[in-house]
Amino acid sequence: MNKYVLKSNRLSKKYHNNMALNKVNVSIKKGSIYGFIGQNGAGKSTLIRVVCGLAYPTTGTIELFGKNSEQELIEARKRIGTIIEGPALYPNMTAFENLEAHRLLKGIPGKECIEKNLTLVGLQNTGKKKAKNFSLGMKQRLGLAIALLGDPEFLILDEPINGLDPMGVVEIRELLKKLNQEYGITILISSHILSELHLLATHYGIIHEGELLEQLSATELNEKCQQYLHIKVDNPDKAATVIERRFTTQNFEVMPDGSIKLFAFVDVPGEISKVLTNEGLVIEQFMPMGEDLETYYTHLIGGVKRG
Amino acid sequence: MDNLLKSEWYKLRKDRSFWVLILFLLAFAVLYPLTLQSGEGVNGNDYYRGYILSINNEIVRLLPAILAGFFIASEYSMGTMKSIASSGNSRIRIYFAKLTVFSIGSIIILLILPIFMMGASAIYKGFNAMPEWTFYLQSIGLIAIYAAAFASIMALFSTLLTDSGKAIGFLLLFFSLIGGLLEYLSAKVAFLEPFITNSIFMSFETIITIDQIGHWNSDDVFTFVVVPLLTFLVFGFLGSFIFRKQEIK
Ligand SMILES: Nc1ncnc2c1ncn2[C@@H]1O[C@H](COP(=O)(O)OP(=O)(O)O)[C@@H](O)[C@H]1O
Ligand SMILES: [Mg+2]
Repeated sequence: MNKYVLKSNRLSKKYHNNMALNKVNVSIKKGSIYGFIGQNGAGKSTLIRVVCGLAYPTTGTIELFGKNSEQELIEARKRIGTIIEGPALYPNMTAFENLEAHRLLKGIPGKECIEKNLTLVGLQNTGKKKAKNFSLGMKQRLGLAIALLGDPEFLILDEPINGLDPMGVVEIRELLKKLNQEYGITILISSHILSELHLLATHYGIIHEGELLEQLSATELNEKCQQYLHIKVDNPDKAATVIERRFTTQNFEVMPDGSIKLFAFVDVPGEISKVLTNEGLVIEQFMPMGEDLETYYTHLIGGVKRG
Repeated sequence: MDNLLKSEWYKLRKDRSFWVLILFLLAFAVLYPLTLQSGEGVNGNDYYRGYILSINNEIVRLLPAILAGFFIASEYSMGTMKSIASSGNSRIRIYFAKLTVFSIGSIIILLILPIFMMGASAIYKGFNAMPEWTFYLQSIGLIAIYAAAFASIMALFSTLLTDSGKAIGFLLLFFSLIGGLLEYLSAKVAFLEPFITNSIFMSFETIITIDQIGHWNSDDVFTFVVVPLLTFLVFGFLGSFIFRKQEIK
């Protein structure tokens, strides 16, 4: 069984003189939720369009479910559900009719899947209302219901929560989690905001100006972004014992230069310094450190945080 | 039936422009004969050729252009072409399914006047002679063949232009001017003359006046059957080739 649902191999796409993708190697493991992060124009949609067969690579290849010939890729796309740059809907059709058109397109037998998917996304009561009269959130959810037709193994969602209200974001996030956990669907979800996918993605790929800067697991990302207290005292060994005993934690590290990185109790620095002082230690340096997700991301892409 | 054909057929049945065109033509078919002066004792054959076919000929190249814009080009602007193209079907199959159903839609539109205006007129006027059945059926068959040939050209341009407004505008302009331009060209460039005369743009005018099928010669078969069918196929393959190479936004 192939471990990867999608792999790209030195994938490049050139538009005029602009490298929209530059030798990109992504690898998406079966069962993961892959957060694909990059600013507007970074190349997210371009990669997704190549994967879906809407654009052709300039150089490089892709592999879907382990398949890479042109004919096999077409077949493999039957196992994918997509929303690419906004939901694709027939505006004069109802939710039901939109799903019916796509059901026929995919050759799925039986209309039961339509009601099932409408219920799944909470659109079962829209009746005769045409898709053009839907709110943005409803359109996104209808797009998701369409993408889920035929029980795809791999869901590709290009900025699906763009423009949703906070409640809508939470709902979609919960739904995606459920699809991933209960049905084992692998998900590729792109966003220009890293923190938007926090709590959802199990893996991240960070793309900037067509280059994949980093690909890492959520755990690795959390470690990189971990907050800690940087503590420097006259007697590090004693400090370590004190912290261990008084705060019953081993979640710290004594660095070679004698400073201590304390990863726990980051939110109560006053308590720590008080205890250390009471134990007769002289505090030379004491400060909270570490980056939040967005700062980490901003540093990574070398840009300046906007706004 | 093939899944792509089923899906396209479903969408055609739900297409608003398709129903608007049908209703408009039905209304015209029923109402327009009332305004025509010719009273009792008209020759149905002359009436069919002189009024119905000649009016139909004017709209053949125009009304389906509207359907082409909404049924084909708008798939791009709505974004639904992305779902179709990534659905795991080959581009060639997708294109020919679209073209087939669009051709059927065009044929339906173009047969409304010959069938319903003829029917309504016959009831109102009580012709003293009905058109020859062979000629009537022949004209229906020819209209269907030509409708498909024109549809194939329209599908190609709709695929290239990827926008319903642009496609409709361009096609209306193209089909309004092409006849005159080709006539001008055939007068200027001698060796093009036979190609132009036999092209569907020219020969289509003649289906009103040609003889019944029993009196056809082999040139007629070539001009009125083979050339339109070839036109359908050539533009169909050209269009599918363009679609295969096309990047879809
Ligand atoms: N069809 C196209 N023609 C020319 N340039 C394009 C085309 N599509 C995308 N690009 C360019 O490629 C780059 C990446 O775009 P895109 O993949 O849409 O970014 P993202 O989805 O990350 O916002 C951008 O600079 C964009 O202008
Ligand atoms: Mg994008």
